[in-house]
Amino acid sequence: MSRKLNILVVDDDTANADSLAELFSMDDHRVIVAYDGQQAVEAFSAHRFDVGFFDVMMPKKNGVESFIEIKNGFPDARIYFMTGYSADDLLDRAVKGGALGVFSKPVDLSRLLETVEREAA
Amino acid sequence: MNDDAVPPRRLDDPHVLLSILDNLPTSIFVKDEDLKFVYSNDLHCKMIGKPENLLLGKCDADFYPEAEASGFLAHDQEVISSGRENCSEEFASNDSGMSLPVLTRKSRLLAPDGKTYLIGTNTDLTEIKKREDQYKALSETVPIGVIQIDEDGTISFSNPLANAYCGGDGANEARQEMIERIQSQHPEFPGKACKFETEIWALGVPRRNVIAISSGWLWIGRAQRSAIVSIVDVSEMTELRRINDDVSRLNRDLADNMKRLKEAQDELVKKGRMEQLGQLTATVAHELRNPLGAVRTSAFLLERKIKGKGLDVEAQIERINKGIVRCDNIITQLLDFSRNKQLNCHPENLDSWLGTVLEEEAKKLPAALAITCDLGLDGRLIPFDPSRLQRALVNLISNASEALVGQGDDPSKFATAEPVISVTTRLETDGVIIEVKDNGPGMAPEVLSRIREPLFTTKSFGTGLGVPAIEQIALQHGGRLDVTSVLGEGACFAIWLPLEGQSTDAVAA
Repeated sequence: MSRKLNILVVDDDTANADSLAELFSMDDHRVIVAYDGQQAVEAFSAHRFDVGFFDVMMPKKNGVESFIEIKNGFPDARIYFMTGYSADDLLDRAVKGGALGVFSKPVDLSRLLETVEREAA
Repeated sequence: MNDDAVPPRRLDDPHVLLSILDNLPTSIFVKDEDLKFVYSNDLHCKMIGKPENLLLGKCDADFYPEAEASGFLAHDQEVISSGRENCSEEFASNDSGMSLPVLTRKSRLLAPDGKTYLIGTNTDLTEIKKREDQYKALSETVPIGVIQIDEDGTISFSNPLANAYCGGDGANEARQEMIERIQSQHPEFPGKACKFETEIWALGVPRRNVIAISSGWLWIGRAQRSAIVSIVDVSEMTELRRINDDVSRLNRDLADNMKRLKEAQDELVKKGRMEQLGQLTATVAHELRNPLGAVRTSAFLLERKIKGKGLDVEAQIERINKGIVRCDNIITQLLDFSRNKQLNCHPENLDSWLGTVLEEEAKKLPAALAITCDLGLDGRLIPFDPSRLQRALVNLISNASEALVGQGDDPSKFATAEPVISVTTRLETDGVIIEVKDNGPGMAPEVLSRIREPLFTTKSFGTGLGVPAIEQIALQHGGRLDVTSVLGEGACFAIWLPLEGQSTDAVAA
């Protein structure tokens, strides 16, 4: 049995964020939801997360900005991006910047759950 | 018998003869050896203005001014002494003191009476002279150079303008030189009737473009034939023509430039539109994919929550998921068609990459469908953008599959009993070909000719962006898409990629 993870889901699209949170919760992971990049940064300083799934385009602070800020404070943070834009365009830069991967929206859920399982292993 | 015949009547009555002489329209006179008048017909009397009885026994000096009379006398003496006929143009004053131009012919007569006479005629040249003056004025004022050349090459006449053209103050040498110069380029000149444009020049005279016209050899009342040559200065017209040519050329250049400008403008507009379209598509894609994500996750949650509760809604959930996939595919096509961002090319073993992609795709194809591979690049590394090329291939294969077996669930609707998709790669001189071929229904020429048009579709669903997006991906790689098909014999889509990678942000139609 894999361990239970602390997961941060960041997306300004609440339907997306909430449904993903529910999905992870069903597998008994602890999930916190942030609806913009600023909230994500704040959440990271308040809690410890095993893994984060960040949307890219968001108000206040976008996914990449908050990612960089978090990585500065927590170099070991394990973060994946999710984007409604073309994942191709982001992938190289994201991986170079220390992100673990990019999911295209609508996210392929079996791939997503496989990833979570791998993180929990 | 004939001796008695009356000979034809001959005028021998002196009165009749005199009357004839009096009525001739020529002035006639006869002088004796001493050059005194012994006969004057009526016209001659009229010319001098005295009746015959006052003339007889008198000489010219009695009637004419001294200068005229002495001239006549010299000719008279010459004729009497030499016996040679004399013909001269002279001026003779009439009784009212007017000096008239006359042509006087004189000859010596050794008469049957043993005496020597001088017989002469005068012809009034007034009318002829008048006409001659007109011709002279005409030839001097006409804006055309006129030269009369005799067959032996001598120039018998040239008007002042022709002389001016020849330079050298109209000296014969200068004129000859001019004629020879023209002749060296136009051997037919001046003997044959001809007309041509040429350039003439002479010492101290500006070069000019002229049209030379020759009458060719003609008999013009002379002992030998001569040609009348007209020289028309067209330098100004030539200059005008040159300016006109320049203007025409400038106009052509301008038109060309306008055309190029228009093309560049069109290209910019197209590029601008494609950029706009690219931005619009990216925004729409983003806005659609977010709710699609939420729908997909919610459907997944729903499926989990009702699992094992016997609600029998699996088919509905399956439909939701298929709908999401279809929407996502449409968005991807739109993005591929409108995207103008740089490619992400890396040299890779195209054949082995292709093998993996095809293996994945084959799993998703209807079972009735066979897929064959003939990969012939021999491990060659080709630079390409894997995610974009993959979408092009997946699109090609799904198009072929649809053409062959539709949704794959109804064999009665299959295009052929043994539907096959064959994928081939091969090396060309400076590129590689990836060919996706099917043995489906093929396309009619009118469909084939429109297959690359955006929004053109033969299906009841679909964006009509599938093939344009594939072509766009090929073009972005610096390659191209070739489509061939024969109705009833399947279709072949071939992507050509250059061996040397060429990432381009060029936008194709």
